[in-house]
Amino acid sequence: MIDVLRLPLIGRILKHRRGRLALQVPFLLIALLLIYDGFTGTPLAAQNLATIVPWVHFRGFAILVLLLAGNLFCMGCPFTLPRTLAKRLSLSGRRFPRLLRGKWLSIGALLLLFFLYEWLDLWASPALTAWVIVAYFAASFVLEAAFSESAFCKYVCPLGAFNFVYSTAAPTRIGVHDADVCKSCVGRECLNGSYSPQPIILIDQIGVDGAPTKAHIHNKTGVPGCGTLLFAPQIQSNLDCTLCLDCVRACPHDNVGLFTRAPGAELTQPDAWHKRYDLSFLIIGLAFMGLLNAFGMIPPVYALMSDLIDALGLRALGWSGLALEGIALLTIFAGGGVVLPALLTFSAASAARALTRTTHRDSLRAALTAFAPAFVPIGAGFWLAHYSFHLWIGFFTIVPAFQAFLLDHRIGILGQPNWLLGGEPNLTLVGLLQTLALLGGFIGSLSVASRIALRLYRRGSFLGLLPWALLLLALMLVGLWVFGQPMEMRGALFD
Amino acid sequence: MPTLLTLLLLLTLVGCREPAPPTPTPAPDAPRLRLAVDPDPAAVGDAALLITLTTFDGQPIDGAQITVRGDMNHAGMQPVLSGGAESENGVYRVPFRWTMGGDWIVTITAVLPDGRQIVKTVDLAVRS
Ligand code: SF4
Ligand code: SF4
Ligand SMILES: [Cu+2]
Repeated sequence: MIDVLRLPLIGRILKHRRGRLALQVPFLLIALLLIYDGFTGTPLAAQNLATIVPWVHFRGFAILVLLLAGNLFCMGCPFTLPRTLAKRLSLSGRRFPRLLRGKWLSIGALLLLFFLYEWLDLWASPALTAWVIVAYFAASFVLEAAFSESAFCKYVCPLGAFNFVYSTAAPTRIGVHDADVCKSCVGRECLNGSYSPQPIILIDQIGVDGAPTKAHIHNKTGVPGCGTLLFAPQIQSNLDCTLCLDCVRACPHDNVGLFTRAPGAELTQPDAWHKRYDLSFLIIGLAFMGLLNAFGMIPPVYALMSDLIDALGLRALGWSGLALEGIALLTIFAGGGVVLPALLTFSAASAARALTRTTHRDSLRAALTAFAPAFVPIGAGFWLAHYSFHLWIGFFTIVPAFQAFLLDHRIGILGQPNWLLGGEPNLTLVGLLQTLALLGGFIGSLSVASRIALRLYRRGSFLGLLPWALLLLALMLVGLWVFGQPMEMRGALFD
Repeated sequence: MPTLLTLLLLLTLVGCREPAPPTPTPAPDAPRLRLAVDPDPAAVGDAALLITLTTFDGQPIDGAQITVRGDMNHAGMQPVLSGGAESENGVYRVPFRWTMGGDWIVTITAVLPDGRQIVKTVDLAVRS
């Protein structure tokens, strides 16, 4: 286990008081640039930075970086920058309503985002994409101002939810060097923050010459504690960790680190996750949404939508094409993103309980939530296959678009745009990599599931695994079918 | 503070973006441009764009300089550029290739022998 934060240069930068800012400010500049180009630039999505950067580069890199390094996108997230400002305005410091303190809102926000994406063709519209970015800033600011914890990150933000889920497969995690130091720690600054208006008695370590080797300072230059209320010595999982490193900076004992680990180690760790339905359905739902999001790009989806509209007898209503498409899409999302995952996982859990005769021992909830981690690798495979496809074929389109943007402002230093930069992508190779991503995800999921089954059902583990393995296999086969279809980039169904 | 500076910076940028040229209202005697595709309906693969140029009263115009740019309506695909075709009876057959199924926006620019320029954009759907 290496503590990344103790590596020579990179550790110093990351731990620096303004270390996160060094990442956030560039991201903020980019976000502002996108909003600006989205509202004032060309309405052609293929030439506007507001549509290219988020839907081609950001999505592609997000999933790659999550799997290869960790939640660097939450770390650099510019939406939390207004947080400091909001915190100053914050009067009440109330906690988020208890009823909403789970992942249900995040699940809803994810479904809403994917629905809007499909329905309004967000990536065909620079202005709408710019509005989405503005909405992110606004929502994070408002929630931050109204509540004491980072409510937006923890309970609402769909991007954050996505990052949390797939960072569980990442090869890094926050932890402490020495658990004993935490046991005798008085201030618990990693959680409480190192600024406290009340004087706290602290014993500073006395050095050889009688002077403290390190003094504790409690003043306004202190660091906030964990915004999502994680307690460093107890952290088992990357869930809810935005990698802000506030805990690292706040700990007066320099005890917190960002440790390397086997990728996805927490997925098979018995008590790393709460056995909650909201959490489990976030993870399971995201795997299904990964399929759904890709399904939205292949020809059969248009046929299905058309059939749905006929079957529901909607054409007789004389509504607009947009309304009809909205209803058809809502039906598909409700079916594929809510009903189907719930139905299939409840069935798998009941079947596993019945087959292993553990109906009396385990509640249905215990039997279902235990297998939620198995949906991380396969889901990651779907998202990787899909978003790396767009990243691959659209990677170079940002260069001429940026040149054109500069020329638009009479800045000619980068020269004339070459719109054909990079040549035509090799689709056969992309297809091969996609298949590898799907198979890799499936194998990863299967191995996680079998280890969970072994832990849960011991000698009956084969029978306990069977329903889950079948479900995972079915998902993978659907994935192979979806990704085997030609991708289309189509907009409105009826115009 | 950096935020504020950036905002100021961006505001100055807003000030200096080149205004888009106003779309001229076509004069009644303006030349006409029509687009047909071969094969029709368009499908992924090699194709041709048939661009017909006529005067307002239907006389074919030959000898114009044609450039064509096809963008997908979504971000993340390279455009297809083509042009420079000979004409026969005012019909220009421009070789083209639909690189992906979906919605395309084709922008045709024709510079007439008398120096006038016509720009026309056409939306069309391509099957995979
Ligand atoms: S991580 Fe640091 S601040 Fe938190 S409990 Fe341990 S020693 Fe205390
Ligand atoms: S303060 Fe909380 S969210 Fe930030 S890095 Fe530490 S554990 Fe993660
Ligand atoms: Cu796609």
